[in-house]
Amino acid sequence: MAVAGMLLFGMLVYRDIDLSFYTDLPEGFRALMNIAEDADSAGLAYGAIYSSYGTLTLASLALSMGAASIAGEERKGTFGLLLGNPVSRTGVLLSKAGSMVVLVGAGSAILILGGWVVPAILDVGIGNMHVGALVLHMFVVSVFFGSLATMLGAWTGSRGMASGVTAVVMVLSFIAVGLFPLVDGWEWVSEFFPWHYYDASQPIRNGVDWGHLGVLAASSAVLVASAVVGVNRRDLKERGVAVTLLDRLRANPRTRKIMEKIAGSARVSRVAAKTASDHQTLTISVGYVMLLMSVVIGPFYLLIDDLIRDFSSQFPEAVLAMVGYADMGTAEGWYQTEIFSLTVPIAFLVATGVIGSRSLAGEEAERTIGLLLANPIRRRTVVIEKSVAMMGIATLVGLLTFVGTVLGSLMGGLGMSVVNVAATCVLAVLVAMVFGMLSLLISAASGRARLASYGMAGAALALYVLNAFLPLNDRLAGFARWSPFYYYLTSDPLNNGMHWGHAGVLAALALGLLAISVVLFDRRDLRQTG
Amino acid sequence: MTAVISTEGLTKHYGTVEALIDLDLDVFAGEVFGFLGPNGAGKTTTIRTILDEIRPTAGRASILGMDTHRHSVEIRRHIGYVPGDLAMYPNLTGKDTVTFFANLRGGVDWSFVDELAERLEADLSKKVGDLSSGNRQKVGLIQAFMNRPEVLIMDEPSSGLDPLMQREFQSMVREMTAEGRTVFLSSHTLSEVQRVADRVGIIRRGLLVAVETVADLRSKGLRRIEFEFATPVESGVFEQVEGVRDMEVTDHRVVLTFDGTIDALLTTIAGRYDVVDIVTHEADLEEVFLTYYRDEEGPA
Repeated sequence: MAVAGMLLFGMLVYRDIDLSFYTDLPEGFRALMNIAEDADSAGLAYGAIYSSYGTLTLASLALSMGAASIAGEERKGTFGLLLGNPVSRTGVLLSKAGSMVVLVGAGSAILILGGWVVPAILDVGIGNMHVGALVLHMFVVSVFFGSLATMLGAWTGSRGMASGVTAVVMVLSFIAVGLFPLVDGWEWVSEFFPWHYYDASQPIRNGVDWGHLGVLAASSAVLVASAVVGVNRRDLKERGVAVTLLDRLRANPRTRKIMEKIAGSARVSRVAAKTASDHQTLTISVGYVMLLMSVVIGPFYLLIDDLIRDFSSQFPEAVLAMVGYADMGTAEGWYQTEIFSLTVPIAFLVATGVIGSRSLAGEEAERTIGLLLANPIRRRTVVIEKSVAMMGIATLVGLLTFVGTVLGSLMGGLGMSVVNVAATCVLAVLVAMVFGMLSLLISAASGRARLASYGMAGAALALYVLNAFLPLNDRLAGFARWSPFYYYLTSDPLNNGMHWGHAGVLAALALGLLAISVVLFDRRDLRQTG
Repeated sequence: MTAVISTEGLTKHYGTVEALIDLDLDVFAGEVFGFLGPNGAGKTTTIRTILDEIRPTAGRASILGMDTHRHSVEIRRHIGYVPGDLAMYPNLTGKDTVTFFANLRGGVDWSFVDELAERLEADLSKKVGDLSSGNRQKVGLIQAFMNRPEVLIMDEPSSGLDPLMQREFQSMVREMTAEGRTVFLSSHTLSEVQRVADRVGIIRRGLLVAVETVADLRSKGLRRIEFEFATPVESGVFEQVEGVRDMEVTDHRVVLTFDGTIDALLTTIAGRYDVVDIVTHEADLEEVFLTYYRDEEGPA
């Protein structure tokens, strides 16, 4: 529904602007950006809203359901209860997979409906665009990622592992399919990534590619079949406790002594330290992905097609920024396009959003908040300590991104300014803190972790789109300032360095949200269950 | 006597549900106060309200003379708490858990922690999430007792403990009160409260039905008597006897609770039936509770 709503918004913006700058692009560049020769507002809106944000959203929902299907039941300790009834493990798994397919199908049906209704409302002609084909591709690729998460959960019983690995595969796949076609002679590599079979055939322009859908559908079937084997072969876990990296180091005789100090006493020294430690897997995963990607992107710059680089440099920066691209004629533009414009906000917001939503409401859902607050500690102290942990983790992820980008720049000989990279990473941390604090606020006000997660994600998505699209329309451009993302990259910190005013706005927003969280949490009854 | 825990007109509504109604209660220094009632009676709501987890709709509560809302942090320096249906951090070991709470309290006497762990036979090296419910409960008890609190508030504290550990727990409670500390203990297991409590409050549907000493309850003289007869008996014969409360008649056997005179009962039986066996014993709190308070009506 939200994605369909954003389509309405995107089409509204595109409808009022001169689109000639898109249609005047050279053929190769248009193809790369998925823009048809006869591009109109409908095509651009579908391309920008549905094919990227929409698919990531739908696939994330499928991923979440897939990871929860078997591993989630085990973690909650309800799988044994379920199997106390006359149902087989295979039956449970297939029912869960079926539910996932049906729910993703229902979401797709809403998207198709939105895709037809919105242009009708706005009187925008969609010509021969294949909305149904696009959504069918979105549906099938989402089911693929849901099946992958189901398979991993079925084999391991670990929900975090299933969702984490699938998310990494999804994001890497999304990026690789955007990246490799830019490199002369390396285009074929993208065929190894599932995202290729979703959009390489450009279904909005060319209709359904049954061959590509067949690859995804067959892969999904294989994954579900593998999940059936996995769930039937292994011992089921009891209500699970994850074994973390720190636990393993603590159990190792060589590292026990030092780890007892770090993982034992230090991590329970205060609420902030414990909260940060609770999210160590998340931090390590996000930090590792950001470090790896930001290093790899540097040398890649040398490999991209000169043609694209040259064309890119001919267009006004603002035009390219609108479609998520910066000027790829420069190393800074390359890094902004591939790392900082979308990947960094997603990764950083995942880190801060999870902590914001889980840290207070999670304590209530797990029924530990009563015991915690039976100690001589104020509620406001708990909120502040949780936000300190959030800040620590965001800073760590920011630091790893900074180190990765500097290394990537050195390896590629790109000569990017270290100070400017640092400034960009600081702004990324600050914008992530704003949304982390928003999820903390919803968590503090409601005690509901899920509401906090979805509320923050919905707001972030809407505000991101707001910032990306409003500048296209002269009349509406000024409203982009209402989006926190405006204060992240609009000042082009990779080229211009720190914009202290923008940093100040983001910091003030984060602190303001924290202050409201403190007041709201202080006033309400604590929930006994989640 | 000084009231350590005191509530005045304490009331808590959840929307239209009246979970706690006008509770007036005083718990005195050095006593074990048992708070009894069936599931959903309002025991946990009372505890959560006086711990400032939830805020009363009306009325007020104090612990050690301090308002439970305004001075909640100061109060928590002096209390130990075991929540009902205890949940802790599954990824921490027992030792980590105790260390965490000890740090929040600014330190703890570790030799006393070790002593408690030894008495309860608790393994603090395992992750809490890997412990059985009984062993998890032991960690919960250790963290509640470890700072030698002036007031100990516990909601169903012995759930999951085996009988030997329950006995050890009761010894620990008695030692606490012997030192002048106060224990507020909620339970629906009356036999447990009977062993440790000095006074008992009975709550039902959010209303405090009665507060009595355990001795007073027992002095009501309620007995449980079991008869075995040579021939089948009719229930009508026993119903006529004054003091017969609850009765079960199955063929040759009669079980009843009774607070009348034994002589009247025996006179009724004499000449009608041949008695094969009689077993009589003092009624426990469970029976006292069921007999005297079962029909107390509170608001729905």
